[in-house]
Amino acid sequence: MTNLYGIIPMLIVMLAGIAAMLAEAFRQPGERMPMFGLGLIGLFGAAAAAIVLWDTNASSFGVVRSDNFALFVDLILCAIGVLTMVFSHGVVEREGIPAGEYYALTLFGIAGMMLMASATDLLIIFLALEVLSLSVYVLTGIRRASAAGAEAAFKYFLLGAFSSAFFLYGIAFAFAISGSTRLDDVAVAMASGSNGTLALLAVGLLAVGFAFKVSAVPFHMWTPDAYEGAPTVVTAFMSTAVKAAAFAAFVRVFLSTLEPMQGHWIPVLSAISAVTMILGTVVGVLQTNVKRMLAYSSIAHAGYLLLGIVAANPSGKAAVLFYLAAYAVANIGALGIVALLGTADHQHDQLRDFAGLWRTRPALAGLMTIFLLSLGGFPPLAGFVAKWYIFAAAVQEAHYTLAIIGVLSSVVSVFFYLRIVVMMYMTDEAAAPAGPALSFPATAGLALATIATFYLGVLPTQVLNAALQSVQGIF
Amino acid sequence: MLSTIVFLPLAGAILVLLAGGRGDRPERESAVRAIALVASLVTFAATLYLWWGFDPASAEFQFVEHRAWIPAFGISYYLGVDGISLFLIVLTAFLTPLALLSSWDSVHKNVTLFSFFLLALETAMLGVFVSLDLFLFYVFWDAMLVPMYFLIGVWGYERRIYAAVKFILYTMAGSVLMLIAIIGLAWVHAASAGSPTFDLLELYRTGVPPNLEYWFFLAFTLAFAIKVPLFPFHTWLPDAHVEAPTAGSVILAGVLLKMGTYGLLRFSFPLFPHAAAAFAPLLGVLAVIGIIYGALVAMVQPDLKKLVAYSSVSHLGFVVLGLCALNVNGVQGAVYQMLNHGVSTGGLFLIVGMLSDRRHTRLIAEFGGLKGVMPRLVAAFLVITLSSIALPGLNGFVGEFLILIGAFQWYPKLATFAAIGVILSAVYMLWMFQRVNYGEVRNERNARLPDLSKREWALMVPTIAMAVLMGVAPGIFLRPMEASVARAVDRVTGAQPATVRMHAVEPPGAPAARPAVMEREARRD
Repeated sequence: MTNLYGIIPMLIVMLAGIAAMLAEAFRQPGERMPMFGLGLIGLFGAAAAAIVLWDTNASSFGVVRSDNFALFVDLILCAIGVLTMVFSHGVVEREGIPAGEYYALTLFGIAGMMLMASATDLLIIFLALEVLSLSVYVLTGIRRASAAGAEAAFKYFLLGAFSSAFFLYGIAFAFAISGSTRLDDVAVAMASGSNGTLALLAVGLLAVGFAFKVSAVPFHMWTPDAYEGAPTVVTAFMSTAVKAAAFAAFVRVFLSTLEPMQGHWIPVLSAISAVTMILGTVVGVLQTNVKRMLAYSSIAHAGYLLLGIVAANPSGKAAVLFYLAAYAVANIGALGIVALLGTADHQHDQLRDFAGLWRTRPALAGLMTIFLLSLGGFPPLAGFVAKWYIFAAAVQEAHYTLAIIGVLSSVVSVFFYLRIVVMMYMTDEAAAPAGPALSFPATAGLALATIATFYLGVLPTQVLNAALQSVQGIF
Repeated sequence: MLSTIVFLPLAGAILVLLAGGRGDRPERESAVRAIALVASLVTFAATLYLWWGFDPASAEFQFVEHRAWIPAFGISYYLGVDGISLFLIVLTAFLTPLALLSSWDSVHKNVTLFSFFLLALETAMLGVFVSLDLFLFYVFWDAMLVPMYFLIGVWGYERRIYAAVKFILYTMAGSVLMLIAIIGLAWVHAASAGSPTFDLLELYRTGVPPNLEYWFFLAFTLAFAIKVPLFPFHTWLPDAHVEAPTAGSVILAGVLLKMGTYGLLRFSFPLFPHAAAAFAPLLGVLAVIGIIYGALVAMVQPDLKKLVAYSSVSHLGFVVLGLCALNVNGVQGAVYQMLNHGVSTGGLFLIVGMLSDRRHTRLIAEFGGLKGVMPRLVAAFLVITLSSIALPGLNGFVGEFLILIGAFQWYPKLATFAAIGVILSAVYMLWMFQRVNYGEVRNERNARLPDLSKREWALMVPTIAMAVLMGVAPGIFLRPMEASVARAVDRVTGAQPATVRMHAVEPPGAPAARPAVMEREARRD
């Protein structure tokens, strides 16, 4: 029985997903089912379980371990899940998305992500990767009538499948040198240092697989199309949750198992990080579609997060965790607002749609500004502390050049975040119509995201310390 | 006490938001304006109380508040004032109510947000001046950009968006490199002391390896030089000034620019004394180029606001020159000149704002002969103009005089060139004054302009009173800052080898430097 403790959080989410699916199956035509509520119960239950399991280091079947690192990511994922649920409420019906499938797939995706964060076996990581990817592929194309959605889902699926193959190939090489897929066995084989080429191939192929999932350059091609074509709530979900889960596994594999190979992969990841930051921001400047702009911004943020991995010190690992949390609340808040303003026939995702928003929807314009400023790294918001922490970790290891590229690209990114602010506050263009009213859950969700953005920016100590503690035990 | 002062405006700003409600509600305008003005006046009163309780004999930081904030990284909530920051705080709190009041007739678009941003800006500015923790300082420093960006971008003139974006990107580009240097400095401290710290007073004592010291100094100085703005980093300033609303210009010129020179004196120079000594001549030369260049460009401006903006480049050049001299006279003059420039340039922008409210133009050629039309306004204009060109008996004179003495003790040639700037400033200001106010009324529309209103009296009287007070009784300002200035100079020159110090130490007879020098001797034993 104690063997199951480690998988309790993902189990709860999975059960909630199954319940949502059953509810859809037994639903009479025209009847409304409380799938939204089921999702919330599952996510809050998982979060509670994660808090109870804190410090227990519960391990299941030797391949899943809910150590504090995994639990920290679980909590971020639960927060993302809850925010996704509350922003979807109302939007799902309005956009004609089938509710049962939508909620069930989101929950399955989150369960897969939690598994990915806590897996200690390469094959389980792959399994989790597939669970979450399949859910997200379908979610991307869930509006069947939309050609853009179908195209985005297909692109995402093809490139994703491609990257999965790379990842699997990497696992095969790792198995070849160690005779096992368990992370600790692989680590022993890597540390022995006697398997030159095979080990390098394993490291390289695994890095490619992860780079696809976190959308690092040059493996980012799918990101703008998938983010633009997906329904906005799904964009909000996948831009934050998939990134959090993929980075969790990235950190675990590269900073514990593959740490002996540091000398080989740090230069490569440094270069990837630098071009990711530069390309994400520079191309982001050229966008006129807000979702596409935020897609490039999320590519840039992957570059900053990679800095934490390149730093390869305790601050770097903890910084990645903190950054994921800070990025998640701000990004999901911003995309949530885009989603809440949209209707079935109008996505409200063009820059000019935001013209004069401060006159028609002053509160939403204000919150949007806060989230964008946080993404741009302005104090006293979450994004500032997160960036500061990442750069501090990089500077600690004397990666001055990377840190300077990072801060300068974040100045460039401010330019395009501000383009939205300029549109909302400063242009003389006629204001767009006010858009649909907010439901209570959506209002509560926005309030939560705002509070979190300020909390992480003004009083980050508790979360920072939790992040630091959670990386100490396992690496 | 300090926390109260810093966050009073923010509390006022939140009250304003609550009172204003959602969106643009003209019927609540007067309530919002009253709340904002009261909040800023209470803050000003609190800063006067601070001044009253300030011990002028001490060079230590006073009213210190020190609380752990992010202990894992040695970051603390650490506030304090010394004689240098004290008056900058008073100046900030003095100018904010004037800025609010100046906008009563000219700003009607969403007054709630306007007042909110102006008060939030005040909190950030006050925070910059009282932070003794580099992380906290950077938080206020960067947070300040956002409200200013909105003030320019929403309530500015035609090219406001361009100016606002240029302002924020230009300043950010400079300050992010400083962020890297701040972090680097904390890790350098960690290498010797075991754990990182952002505590300024601790970091003063941290020796930085020479190669890093030069890079860190450049990163800090670039951020401050852009803010000052030191030639050749000044190009954002004319745009920002011209496009900003009057209140924004007053705050921008009155306070924001001082953050650059304050930063040089508080952070760049004492944290990296060797690099400071090495680069001081270069900075001094740039400052003198800025003095003369700013004056020459100001001379040919057709636009009143642009003229005042370029005159700021010139005046701030004096401040930087005084700082680079690194002796008590020069630095004291520089600090005094920061205050002067805040009062006189703030006053000039207020007057330009009044003219542009009446005529909706700022072109000098559109005016002429105003003296007969608005004698009171022109009289006020004259006093402020004279204070700006440093007429003895008004505030500008004391600061420029001290700076020139300090610069002469350092590099007489630089002082000579700087003195040319004094003459040029008289030329461009008086020429402008003559074209605007004397002669015949050539333009029909100028013939019946109303003179100062009650509200405008309320703007002009405190400004002129301050200019006169600072001109005739400089002692009440100079004495409290003397000890702190001596300490600041000592932090930089005390770290130099003896030959370099010879330049910097005061000649006999300058009382302020004595105790500091003796104290240093004593410490060495």
